Amino acid sequence: MSTDPSVDGPVDGFDLDRPWCVHDRVAVRPEPFGALLYHFGTRRLSFLKNATVLAVVRSLAKHPTARSACVAAGVPSAALPAYERALATLAESQMITERMRQ
Amino acid sequence: MTQQAVIEATPVEPTLTGDQPAERDSDEALVADELLVEEVSIDGMCGVY
Repeated sequence: MSTDPSVDGPVDGFDLDRPWCVHDRVAVRPEPFGALLYHFGTRRLSFLKNATVLAVVRSLAKHPTARSACVAAGVPSAALPAYERALATLAESQMITERMRQ
Repeated sequence: MTQQAVIEATPVEPTLTGDQPAERDSDEALVADELLVEEVSIDGMCGVY
């Protein structure tokens, strides 16, 4: 659970301070507007609308938390709540999934 | 054949109500949130597999 005052609060089912990764049944296809995600299990599509959110999503597996992935991708602290909500949306639709701590 | 695409992104219409920086930051966050992710279900679409 985050104690960072720049974050509005926990988003249901998503914790920015936990490790996440793209679901193994999700294909990520870069596009000029950002990227298209397709989940082969749910047959859902998600559009990532800019390159930064794509960078965050692609780097999730390399970072210990989603927050550090956002910071590394250059997300300013003021925009972090918006990125948290975007990631929560992706988590809700199973495009990203929490990974087990190693 | 039936084609159906369900767009589930909830539109967010920010309202600029003042010049206070805090309000502007909040509105900017809403705008950014709207633009970051959009979800579409292709269930019901034929001929796409």
